[in-house]
Amino acid sequence: MPSHPAITIGVLCSRVRVEEKLIFSALQERGIDYERIDTRQVTCDLDHGSLGECDAVLVRCLSHSRAYYLTRWAEHLGVPAVSPHRVVATCTDKLLASAALQEAGVPTPHTLVAFTPQAALEAIEEMGYPVVLKPLNGSWGRLLARVNDRHAAEAILEHKTTLGGYQHSVFYIQEYVEKPGRDIRSFVVGDETVAAIYRQSPHWITNTARGGTASNCPITPEVDRVSRAAAQAVGGGVVAVDIFEHPDGRLLVGEVNHTPEFRNSIAPTGVDIPGKIVDYVMEVATMKQSGR
Amino acid sequence: MRTEEKLIFQALRERGVAFDRIDTRKLVLDLNLDGHGADKPMQSRGQFDNYGIVLVRCLSNSRALCASRVLQMQGVRTVNTRDAIATCGDKILTNLALLEYGIPTPRAAMAFSRESALVGAHDIGYPVVVKPPIGSWGRLMAKVNDRQTAESIVEHKEAMDNSGGSPFYVQDYIHKPGYDIRTLVVGDETLYAVRRSSAHWITNTARGGQVSNLAVTDELDRLSLAAAAAVGGEIVAVDILEDADGVLTVNEVNHTPEFHGAMQVTDVDIAGKMVDYVLRLADG
Repeated sequence: MPSHPAITIGVLCSRVRVEEKLIFSALQERGIDYERIDTRQVTCDLDHGSLGECDAVLVRCLSHSRAYYLTRWAEHLGVPAVSPHRVVATCTDKLLASAALQEAGVPTPHTLVAFTPQAALEAIEEMGYPVVLKPLNGSWGRLLARVNDRHAAEAILEHKTTLGGYQHSVFYIQEYVEKPGRDIRSFVVGDETVAAIYRQSPHWITNTARGGTASNCPITPEVDRVSRAAAQAVGGGVVAVDIFEHPDGRLLVGEVNHTPEFRNSIAPTGVDIPGKIVDYVMEVATMKQSGR
Repeated sequence: MRTEEKLIFQALRERGVAFDRIDTRKLVLDLNLDGHGADKPMQSRGQFDNYGIVLVRCLSNSRALCASRVLQMQGVRTVNTRDAIATCGDKILTNLALLEYGIPTPRAAMAFSRESALVGAHDIGYPVVVKPPIGSWGRLMAKVNDRQTAESIVEHKEAMDNSGGSPFYVQDYIHKPGYDIRTLVVGDETLYAVRRSSAHWITNTARGGQVSNLAVTDELDRLSLAAAAAVGGEIVAVDILEDADGVLTVNEVNHTPEFHGAMQVTDVDIAGKMVDYVLRLADG
């Protein structure tokens, strides 16, 4: 294994999960210098700050907000981030992600947005039940609501109104796609679809964090095409793409995640996802160093 | 409806311009473009096609952000643009954009934990101002004179934050001479400058600050236009702080400026100038 004495990778994270441990191992195996930057301990001096010796940073923050601001700060300092700020900003907000995907011609489920419970109710009725209500910035399937009828809509809208804040004062209403008991999650690193899994669950929320089970999904030309198009639409980097198989055969992109968890996807796919991520970050750092 | 919107509507009518008031409370925005997924044609599709341009005057920052993004994807020009709204709506993004443009700003830090925020406050030196990155009208801004106060404030902020990790934004407190300065930029012109005086350190007119007219000096003009350019703003208010030595720094830039206070003390036809700018863009 060649060593890379000239390059240092910063890994931005707080809690070290299985994913981060695997990334540290991949860095060590390759003899790459890296620095773990604990986001709880960093004070970003906006005027005179720096990211030390880092040639690139890999963002592994659990918090979207930290990823969002720290990638912007890295950009300010001229340090490339994986994923870059634009990707984090777009993926963090489902409205921005939907808009970016549509602009790039990537099929998405039908989605409407409203700003008051009254307008939201009208939109839901217009779309027809069932629909899914999603918080703009949520993860791990949290606070997703499947709305099957008007009574459910009224109750959920009232609860969201009471919750308040940015993410509950914008009503993001999506067509419920009748999935065949599973959906697809693919991993795109740079411009390559490196792996894909089926997430199977008797529950309509198939996140593995919510008990969905993972199995290998062959990267068909169609899955590859949709995955890379979705990744490009949000700006590239390292992302996971959630894909629904519509009963009419189309593949629709549900969302794109800028800091994917992958612990349950390595075994079924046999793909060294952390290794792929680390190799890509090195590529980005090397390009930066050679001034490209 | 605020005074500002009434004046804008009046200016539009005086010019014989056809316009609609789009009430965001009733709005349903379609996030699908034709042929890309949705198989049900919606009434709301292309709902903005007949507008040459849309002036964004939402009180709510989140509505301004979301609506301007959907308009952008539907190919409708907005003032301000979605990117300018996103930058101005966030004090940290504004701060970085101003710095990247070489515009003097008060020293500042951001942090994601209580301890790191206290380090930032200490490094900058008390007194400091702790602000939410997103917010208006001087709400939840805290002037912090010492470490004990800092500890209490960051603890309260942490207890309040239900979104998980919104940063602490800590800024050097500028010792103002009892006022700060607000200018209004429309296009490439600084329309006016006013002084906002207050016995309280928060000088927002929404908080009882008194407004008086101020000459637009070359320095104010240059600083205001540069600040607007830095955030990509076309119709923006620029908050400028003056310290005891007369040194000016740009504090914030507002993307949906109120001007009912300023109009009492300047002769400028503010709403008329805004409307003329928007019409020029729509015609261009």
